[in-house]
Amino acid sequence: MFKKHFLLLLIFFLAVFLRFWQLGQNPPSLTWDEASWGYNAYSLGIDGKDEFGKFLPIDYLESFGDFKPPVYAYLDIIPVKIFGLTEFATRFPSALFGALTVLISYFLVKRIFYKSNNANAYGILTSFILAISPWHIMLSRAAFEANIATFFIVVGVWLFLGGIQERKWYLLFSAISFALSIYTFNTARVVAPLIILMLCIGFWKILMGKYTQTIMAIIIGILLLFPTLKFLLSPQASLRFQEVNIFSDIDVVKTANQEIANDNNSSWSKILHNRRLAYGVEYLRHYLDNLNPSFLFIKGDGNPKFSTQTVGEMYLWDLPFLIIGILFLFKKREGYWWIVPLWLVLGIVPAATARETPHALRIETTLPTFQILAAVGFLTTINLLKKYKKLTISILAFVLLINFMYFYHDYLIHYPREFSGEWQYGYKDSISYVESQKDNFDQIDITMALGRPYIYYLFYTKKNPKDYRQEAMIQREVFGFVNINGFDKYRFAKNLSDIDNKNKKVLYVNTPNDVPNSANILKTFYLLNGNKALVAYTL
Amino acid sequence: MSRKLTLILIIAVVVLASILRLWQLGKIPASPDWDEAALGYNAYSIMHTGRDEYGKFLPIILRSFDDYKPALYAYFSIPIISIFGLDVFSVRLPSAIFGILTVLASFFLVKELFKKDNIALLSSFLLAISPWHIQFSRVAFEANVGVALNVFGILFFLKAFKKPWFLSLSALMLGLSLHVYQSEKVFVPLLIAILVGSFRKEFVSLRKKYIYTSIIIFAIISLPLIIFTLTNKDALSRAKGVSIFFNTSIIEANTEKIARDTVNNDILGLVLDNRRVEFAKYVANGYLSHLDLNWLFIKGDIARHHAPGMGLMYLIELPFLLIGIYSLIFGKFDKAVKVFTILWFLIVPIPASVTNDVPHAVRAINFLPILQILTAIGILFALQKISNIKNQKSKIQIKYLIFSLFVSFFIFNFTYYLNQYFVQQNYFNAKYWQYGYENIVDYVATVQKDYRKIIVSNTGTMDQSYMFFLFYLKYDPHKYLSEGGTLSGKIEGENKFANLEFKKLNYYQENGKNILLIGSPSDLPEVFKTVHEINFPDKSLAIKVVEKNK
Repeated sequence: MFKKHFLLLLIFFLAVFLRFWQLGQNPPSLTWDEASWGYNAYSLGIDGKDEFGKFLPIDYLESFGDFKPPVYAYLDIIPVKIFGLTEFATRFPSALFGALTVLISYFLVKRIFYKSNNANAYGILTSFILAISPWHIMLSRAAFEANIATFFIVVGVWLFLGGIQERKWYLLFSAISFALSIYTFNTARVVAPLIILMLCIGFWKILMGKYTQTIMAIIIGILLLFPTLKFLLSPQASLRFQEVNIFSDIDVVKTANQEIANDNNSSWSKILHNRRLAYGVEYLRHYLDNLNPSFLFIKGDGNPKFSTQTVGEMYLWDLPFLIIGILFLFKKREGYWWIVPLWLVLGIVPAATARETPHALRIETTLPTFQILAAVGFLTTINLLKKYKKLTISILAFVLLINFMYFYHDYLIHYPREFSGEWQYGYKDSISYVESQKDNFDQIDITMALGRPYIYYLFYTKKNPKDYRQEAMIQREVFGFVNINGFDKYRFAKNLSDIDNKNKKVLYVNTPNDVPNSANILKTFYLLNGNKALVAYTL
Repeated sequence: MSRKLTLILIIAVVVLASILRLWQLGKIPASPDWDEAALGYNAYSIMHTGRDEYGKFLPIILRSFDDYKPALYAYFSIPIISIFGLDVFSVRLPSAIFGILTVLASFFLVKELFKKDNIALLSSFLLAISPWHIQFSRVAFEANVGVALNVFGILFFLKAFKKPWFLSLSALMLGLSLHVYQSEKVFVPLLIAILVGSFRKEFVSLRKKYIYTSIIIFAIISLPLIIFTLTNKDALSRAKGVSIFFNTSIIEANTEKIARDTVNNDILGLVLDNRRVEFAKYVANGYLSHLDLNWLFIKGDIARHHAPGMGLMYLIELPFLLIGIYSLIFGKFDKAVKVFTILWFLIVPIPASVTNDVPHAVRAINFLPILQILTAIGILFALQKISNIKNQKSKIQIKYLIFSLFVSFFIFNFTYYLNQYFVQQNYFNAKYWQYGYENIVDYVATVQKDYRKIIVSNTGTMDQSYMFFLFYLKYDPHKYLSEGGTLSGKIEGENKFANLEFKKLNYYQENGKNILLIGSPSDLPEVFKTVHEINFPDKSLAIKVVEKNK
């Protein structure tokens, strides 16, 4: 047993190392979403209520008005209890479940290529490629709930396949895992049902033969989703969708109308330039954006939070094997090969409705299909070149090592310095300074320019949630956004002059460009690239 | 398939190709772009004086807008201009004719490669209706002639295995191709290498004298080009202008990293952050950008390279292209043919990959007709699979249902394209085609004598305006050259002839009596009283003509 899984164990340790090493320091700072997970976990751990005082929320965390599915916060309660309210503890669940995804991928692949001689090799390779994947490493090293959802979906498919193979009771656990994914990340609300549907159609006959387990799994799934069904159908649940979706783009309609006018408003032109078709093409454009080679293999996601900008979501090394893998997957048709391409195609479906494409986070649910394809391609290639097998493997391993070093060196050395601003660097330093000066002032006015300062003040001052709920000055906007204008001595505003400072001794924290000339500067807080992030001053 | 049916069908395909390429050729696209105008006027000038706009005698390379265009296209248009006169139609006609010939040649080429009439017919049909091929067959784009010469070159190369003297014809075609378009200088050598490599068995069994003759022919044709390139330091300027290796912004981002590595004394970092690595990544990016499905099927690149709302291929072709690649690799085809076809596909993006502005539909135009061949293979493979479906539901065979769905999608997609190209294009894209000069020059011709000086803007959208005036006025080349010909080919360079001056327009600095100023709305923003103006088809203002009289 140990010998058989020795390689897998090594890969798992590699995955753990790449995900946990310097987890608290790199990425250099917390985003507001991360701080929100951490503080809500802290709050739940104290009295079972979230920051707004909702008791054991299961539908959503209101957060900044973006109604996050809540599982991440629950998973983070124990790490926060053990390690305290720190960056490391906040990110711990993502890193842990990321490493576990690497492990489970092996078992998943063995189930997919059931009875194939290559199943074990495919599994080991997939799990290795995922362990060193820039895409998966980046998303495992920050508190991204998407990464947990990916884990649950991978586990869901793995257990499902176990269920239709020899362990029929796994079907029940599969249903639980899929249900959990829906409680974890928005995108999974679409992807998980699609994948379940695909599996049910593909294994229809086998499921019919195991109707006891099938029916029980369905019942469990429905029961688990029942508490949140009402919310899923409510306007809040689709709030974010409406805000970012492509179907509200009015230009598409304008162009279509002009085209119809150019055809003298003829009826055939109204069919040809139907706006539904135009939106369909627009959807396809956003869909294919996610398969853009530059995104996948050269630059990665344009958002530096998801990519270092120097390598793609995958290594260039993966590209030839990915292509060979697709071709030979279809050619060889081993086991339940068809799951891989269908899963990949379905994983992009919800992400393509959004305006910002490509989007590494929203299509993370496609993992590890890309890695499986690369693994199939790699093994096929070295088997085709069997005469020079050893030489080929050594050369390819060397090239991969260079690819990896290029990414990892950049990630450790350059990335935190270049992109600390993207991670809202500067809050932590400024807050520890403000805390030390707090007793000397009546009020502290803090700019909202870097985004949502209140959550950082809660996080870094480890504010007792019970006190906070008493003091919080909450302002709700029409579109569900929530602003916190202050608590304790802290006041937050976009424009500091809007805050009432009458007869008070005030400490100001503002972005460097907005500091008045007359200010008496007390301390400046810098980004890691030397630029100024925040300035503390009095007037 | 019977010979007779094949003959009828290929004639039908060629007729269809001709209609799609010749109908309204001078009117759609709405206006020649500056390269078309330049090719036309230089041909006109060579025809009358033997010299180009700069006075160069029988040039093999046209300096033009300092982009050093290979001159062959201009020579092809001379006979046509001498028959029909200098106008948009005659400048575009050579490209259209070569486009039609490519459709026909593709049929024979595919027949030669795959020995199957159905693949050959379908490939040439797909090329006949290809949005990409139609786009460039209907404008004076040299690159389109390059495609034709390459297809003929490959065809004759394969023919040579039965009739060896075809090899010299192949050498002639591929040699000429070098003279047509910049990318061919990289593409043709690669093409020859993979032709010889893939068919080495047949090639080495050819008698030596045929091989030597061909090499000599190729050398003689390409020699002037090599000499010119080596002796003229400006000739490479165009290549430098578009090449990433002279794009300093690429390495700028890296200097910060290198500085950090130096401070850290990080040797590994200095190796990894080496600027050569950065360039290599850019080349890879350029190459891969041509495999972006969005570019191919949905959005294309710049407006002049595709019909509005269309990519370079039909959306319905996408699944069949993918199936085609699969069935080519695993299908029952000759191994050398498989290797050649795959390599042909893989070398196409190479010339474009070292340039800025990728993906680029012109620099990668040698994807024609290979993409159509792959799609044709895919369609036939799918049809065969579908016709094996035995499933029958309520007396309708599923396979016929699938066939008719496919055909209706195809017809819909084709109709949509026709509408986008022939109706919508001129409305939405006229400004990208530098529309408006024809009307303005006609007006200027009638009033030219009344003014002491006519000043035309040469900045922004009016860049290289002098060429449009030469073109539409059919200005006598003898007279033009005697006045000094073209002075500057730079971007926004100054030129003049007769009483026309082309320079940066400043309404307040031009003083004196009887001056006419011509410019875009952004050249003359505060001047509202025009003596003449022309709108784009979407009614927005294109060019303004104003008077100055003090």
